[in-house]
Amino acid sequence: MTETSTERPVAGAPPRDDILLDVRNLKTYFRVMDGVVPAVDGVNFSLGKGHTLGIVGESGSGKSVTALTVMRLLDIPPAEIGEDSEAWFDGRDLLKLPESDMRRIRGNDIAMIFQEPLTSLNPVFTVGDQIAEQVELHMKVKAREARDRAVEMLRLVGIPSPERRAKQYPHELSGGMRQRVMIGMALSCEPKLLIADEPTTALDVTVQAQILELLKAIQERTGAALILITHDLGVVAEMVDNVIVMYAGQVVEQGTVDQVLLEPRMPYTMGLIESIPTVEKRGGRLSAISGVVPSPFHLPPHCRFEPRCPYRWETCRTVTPELYNAGDGRVARCHLHLVEATARREAAIAQHRQNMAMGRRFTGAPDRLGDR
Amino acid sequence: MTKFVIRRAIQAIPVLFGITIVVYGILLAAPGGPEAKFANNPRMTQEAKDKFIKAWGLDQPIPIQYCRWMGLCNPETEGTMLGSLPTPAAFIGPSGLPNFLPTVMSGATNGLLHGDLGRSINSGEPVVDRIARAALPTFILAGIALVVWLSIAITMGVYAAIHRYSLFDNAATVFSYVGFAMPTFWLGIMLIFIFSGPGLNILPAGGMTETRLSPPFGSDQYWAYFGQHPVQALTDIGKHLILPVITLVVVNIAGDSRFVRASMLEALGQDFVRTAKAKGLPARVVNFKHALRNALLPVITNIGLEIPFLFTGAIVTETIFSWPGIGKLTIDATREFDYPILMGVLLVTSVLVVFANLLADIAYGYVDPRIKY
Repeated sequence: MTETSTERPVAGAPPRDDILLDVRNLKTYFRVMDGVVPAVDGVNFSLGKGHTLGIVGESGSGKSVTALTVMRLLDIPPAEIGEDSEAWFDGRDLLKLPESDMRRIRGNDIAMIFQEPLTSLNPVFTVGDQIAEQVELHMKVKAREARDRAVEMLRLVGIPSPERRAKQYPHELSGGMRQRVMIGMALSCEPKLLIADEPTTALDVTVQAQILELLKAIQERTGAALILITHDLGVVAEMVDNVIVMYAGQVVEQGTVDQVLLEPRMPYTMGLIESIPTVEKRGGRLSAISGVVPSPFHLPPHCRFEPRCPYRWETCRTVTPELYNAGDGRVARCHLHLVEATARREAAIAQHRQNMAMGRRFTGAPDRLGDR
Repeated sequence: MTKFVIRRAIQAIPVLFGITIVVYGILLAAPGGPEAKFANNPRMTQEAKDKFIKAWGLDQPIPIQYCRWMGLCNPETEGTMLGSLPTPAAFIGPSGLPNFLPTVMSGATNGLLHGDLGRSINSGEPVVDRIARAALPTFILAGIALVVWLSIAITMGVYAAIHRYSLFDNAATVFSYVGFAMPTFWLGIMLIFIFSGPGLNILPAGGMTETRLSPPFGSDQYWAYFGQHPVQALTDIGKHLILPVITLVVVNIAGDSRFVRASMLEALGQDFVRTAKAKGLPARVVNFKHALRNALLPVITNIGLEIPFLFTGAIVTETIFSWPGIGKLTIDATREFDYPILMGVLLVTSVLVVFANLLADIAYGYVDPRIKY
């Protein structure tokens, strides 16, 4: 259940009852020696109870920082959160909660799974103890029961002989097993929202599929809402209902999986989709979006994707694009929807379709369009 | 684990053997030699000097001297081969068996292998006795200083890391730089100047006991006195301890607290600390259970390397405060060209370093589950 920014409730008021998480105008800055880095710059989204949302984007696009800000896991300072930012969860604005209340939510109502399961588990405690610790804290049970619960969770996530595994240390488990432990830990207190930050990036491809299946099965069984942060659009296609595409700290496109993946409206999204390697594209060069993510200190003043965009025109350098309503509840941030850019838009869409069909490179502006 | 310890102990044998050669070599390289102390003595005749050299076996070639010092050669057997090497006969002990075997078998009592480090050239006392006598004062001073500075350094480092860039952290940083830059000899003398000088005069300037009140520390009379007036004796030692302990603590806190701070900061930046926070654990548990346990792993190695200090003591500090310990013994022996004592101290120190390292490795295996022996 993603909504466009135009249909939002009044600032400061809680969202409708069926909305689990409502993030409004989320801004996160890092104050560093060289200046201020706007890591997340005005992100809006909402997530219905039991729904799934994917956040995709390149490294440094602000996906993880968005999640960490909502979880209030960033150190302040150096991080700073915008004063009018709101993150409503279950009727409360997380960003305004006292730390003690926030602690009761973390691990209990919102649980998080991280990218690197080896470093995300403490090397000097057994995995059973690490799960039991959380259970004991939130479910207010005796150490004995917490241990039993830990073993039960390990069984639930498909770890064979969980009693024995619970007594092992993280380094004694394989990468896939460790990520299963992380998932078991995250689910141990029956959270309403599960945030998975690149849960399969550090794993072998064969294990990735298993972990994703497990996540999906467990999400369906427990009815928890899921936010899946990834740079892998293939993962997104299989796992979630709605997608947010982020670029340089901003949302650039948002809609259902089908809308965003099949009919992207923003050249950046098109590029991301085209750069998924497929069997059909075998033999040719892997496609990539040319250029690099702009330095957060020197963001282009208007459209942040403009320097890398093959379809840019004068307006992209002079007018800041806002998210526009692209119909059917989807939004995008691009000047290509303007009437003046009709020809350009149609060329972009045609080129995208052709690239998808032929698996050709996305880079560079088509010559016949001219650059300016 | 037992296998590991045994393996390491066996590995230590060639290391220790190497150490004896290095210790011997270092002292050989030093200018002079035991007879150098007579150089400026006008009443010393050449004849007397030759007699001294012969009596101490200094006329023998170096390999033979080393061989006797180690206890491999029988000192009674004269003669050389190939210019400077000991003859095969020299390796036979008084009983007819090889000299290096234990005394009950070989009848030999000389050299390191039979627990004999020779005698002090100046006092004639066995080196082992001199070292044993100086070890207790050093152990008292170094032990107390080590416990105090480690507790302060760990507390300070951990607190500074948790409250990074806070006022406390910045103050600790300044203190560390000042402490690190301050030479022990200067700080010790300043402390004596302030607390024992004519102005305040509230603490003794040096020594371990008040010589007017009690017999010299370590003598039989002293222990008799200690039995009669234990409180008085302990207070006396305690008073003498304050300034040297402060000196050692200030200088050593500086480095160690930085080390602990860096180690703790690294632990706090780890992913598992973020996981612990994401689990909803209170800051106290995150810091002191999840981060600290990991931060202390490298600190344990560091502490292991500081254990030999309990024996070697602090040469400069002990000298400034006339503390009758190993440090002072070393300096005095150097000044008096007392080679056997110097060699004894160097050797025992090296052996302790080897074993402290082993101890640290074993401790590491207990606290870090990733390490298996």
